[in-house]
Amino acid sequence: MTQISRLSRTDWFGPLLATIIAIVVIRAFSANFLSSFNIQILLLAIAVNALVAYSQMIIIAIGQMNLSVGAIGGLAAISFVGMIEVWGIPAPLAVILALAIGVGCGVINGVLIRITGISAFVITLATLSIFKGINLGITEAQPFYGVPDSVKAFGSALVFGPIPWLVVPTVLVAVGLWFMLSRMPVGRFILAVGSNEHAAGLSGISVGATVIIAHGISGLLAAIAGVLVVARLQIGQPSIGDDWLILSFAAPVIGGAILAGGHVSVSATFLGVVIVAIITQALVLFNIDPFLVQVVLGALILAAVGLNKLRARAPIGQGT
Amino acid sequence: MTSPDSTLPASPLGPNAGRSTTHFFLSNEFGLILLIVIFAMIFGATAQGFLSKFNLFTLGRNSAVNIMIGLSMMTVIVTGGLNLAVGAMGVSVAMTCGWLIEGVGVPWPLAILGALAFGAALGWINGAMVVKTGLHSFIITLATMSIFFGAMIFLTRAESFRELPSAFSTFGRMKFGGYLSPLLLVTLVVALLLAWLYRRTLTGREMLAAGASPAAAELSGIRVDRIITLCHMLSGVLAGLAALMLVARNGAAIPSMAGQLGQDWLLPAFLGPVLGGTLLQGGKVSVLGTVLGAFLVTMLSSGLLMLQVGAFWVQTFLGLMLLVAVLLDKARRSYLARRNLA
Repeated sequence: MTQISRLSRTDWFGPLLATIIAIVVIRAFSANFLSSFNIQILLLAIAVNALVAYSQMIIIAIGQMNLSVGAIGGLAAISFVGMIEVWGIPAPLAVILALAIGVGCGVINGVLIRITGISAFVITLATLSIFKGINLGITEAQPFYGVPDSVKAFGSALVFGPIPWLVVPTVLVAVGLWFMLSRMPVGRFILAVGSNEHAAGLSGISVGATVIIAHGISGLLAAIAGVLVVARLQIGQPSIGDDWLILSFAAPVIGGAILAGGHVSVSATFLGVVIVAIITQALVLFNIDPFLVQVVLGALILAAVGLNKLRARAPIGQGT
Repeated sequence: MTSPDSTLPASPLGPNAGRSTTHFFLSNEFGLILLIVIFAMIFGATAQGFLSKFNLFTLGRNSAVNIMIGLSMMTVIVTGGLNLAVGAMGVSVAMTCGWLIEGVGVPWPLAILGALAFGAALGWINGAMVVKTGLHSFIITLATMSIFFGAMIFLTRAESFRELPSAFSTFGRMKFGGYLSPLLLVTLVVALLLAWLYRRTLTGREMLAAGASPAAAELSGIRVDRIITLCHMLSGVLAGLAALMLVARNGAAIPSMAGQLGQDWLLPAFLGPVLGGTLLQGGKVSVLGTVLGAFLVTMLSSGLLMLQVGAFWVQTFLGLMLLVAVLLDKARRSYLARRNLA
C-alpha cells in the first residue's frame, strides 16, 4: 500500500496512468490507432510539441512565464530557411545560426526582465510582438520555399520501424534537460530560484545569471522546435509558432508543474505532451470535429490544475 | 531641494500646492497627452492626409474599439488578475448576437442586450473559477480562452453572420460633423461611467481595495470573492461591447475577427492599461490613462501605416512601444520615489 501511495505522489504516475488508460480505451474502439502509420504521426506531433512544452517548462521552473515561445520558434524557423534561400548558406550552418537567434531572443527576454524588474508577462508580451513583427517584416507573410533536400530527407526519414528521425533531437533534449535539472548545479540553481528567489540569492546563487540562462535555454528549445517544424512541413511558414501558446502551458501543467516555480518534471511534462497528442489524434480517428481540440485542451488544463491543487492539499504520506 | 517656505510651519498649503502641480506634470496622463500632441504634429506634417476628415473618422472608429478592449482588460487588472480570454469572449458575444438575430429572429436591440448578458455570463464563469479554485487568473483564463474560442468555432462552423440588420452598418458608418464616429462616443460614455464607478461608488472602491490587498479588504468586511467575480463579469460585458463595435464596423459578425483564439486582442488589451499607468499588481487604476494610452497606440499604428513603414513592421513598433513605455514608467516612478513625490 505504501508503495502505491508513494507512487501516486510522484509527478509522472498520474499522467502515465492516464496515458495507458487512453491508449487502451482508444485501441478498443479503433483498430487503426496502434497501426505503424498512426504511431509515426503521433511521434511526429510529440517530437515538436515536447520541445515547445520544455521551452515553457524551463521558464515555469524559475516561476515566470514566456509568452514569446511561439514567436521565437517562428522567427528561428523562417530565418533558418531564409538564410539558406537568400544567402545560400549550407544547411548545417543555417541550423546553428537559427539556434543562435533563438538563444539570442531568449537572452534578450532574460536580460530585460532582470534589468528592469518588470514582470516576465509584460516583457515577453512585448517581445512576442517584436519577434513576430520581425518575422512578418522579413517574410511579408509569404512562406520561404527553399528548404534543401537534405533537410526534407531528415524530416521524413525513419530510424527504424515507425520511429522518425525527428524524434531523436527531442529525446536528446529531454535526457539533457533531465540531467541538467537533477544533476547539474545550474539546474538546481534554476529550481532554487523558482522556489524562493530571495533565499536563493542569499545562499550565494547569482539570481540574475540563472534567470538569463533559463531564458536562453527556453529560446534555444523554441528554436529547435521551429527548425524541426520546417523539416516536417518542408516549407518555411511565417505562421509557425502561432498556435503554441496554449499547448506550451498545457503539457507542463498536466505534468504537475507548479506555476509559482521551483517544481517541474521532465518525464511528466513529456507524458503531458503524449496525452495531448493522443487525445487530438483520437478526435481525428473518431471523426469528431477538429474544432473541438481547443475545447479539450482548455478543459485538460483546468482538470490538471484542479488535480494538482487537490494533490497539494492531500496529507503528506507516511511512506517517506 | 527644499524651498525656504517648507521650513515655515505657517504655510502648509504652499508646498502641497506646488507638489500637486509638479505631480500633474510628472503624471502618466500628462506624458501621454504630450506624446499624442507631438506625434499628431509629426504625422500631420509628414504623412499625407493624416489630418483629413476621413482619416480622423477611421482613427476615431479604430481607437473606439481599442480603448474598449483596453478598458475590458483594465477592469480585471484592477483586481491584480489578468484576462487572457478577452478576445475569445468578445468574439463569442459577437457571434451570439449574430445568431440571436439570424438564427432565432430576435429584434436587434434585444439581441445586443442578450449577447452582452452572455458576455457577463462568460465573465462570471472566469470569475467563479478563479475564486473557487484560488488559482491565478492567468491559467484559468488561458484555459477558458481555449474553451470559449473552440466552442464558438465548433458551434458556428467557422462561418460568419452576414445578414445583419442595416442598423449595424449604418451606425458604423455614421459621422457627426464629417469626422466623429458615434462608436467613439459610446466608448467615451463607457469610460466616464467607469471613472465614476472607481471614484464615486462603493462597489468601485471595493474593487480597488480588493485589488490592493485582498486580505485587508476581506477583514474590512468586503466580500472579495463577489467583487472579483463582478470585475470579471464587467470585463466580459466590455469585451462584448468592443466586439459588437467591430461588428458595426465590418457589417458582419466574423469568427476570425480577433485572430486565432482571440490572441490579436491581447497586445492592445495590455498596451492601453499599461501605458496608462494601471498597476499590474492591482489596486490602482487610471481610466483616463487607459483611454489616452489606447488612443496613442491606435494613432501610432495609423500614422506608421500612412508613412508607409510597411504594414508588417507595425507589430514590431507596437511591441517596442510597450517596452519603452514600461521602462519610462519605471524611470518616472524611481524619480518620484527619489524626490519623495509619490
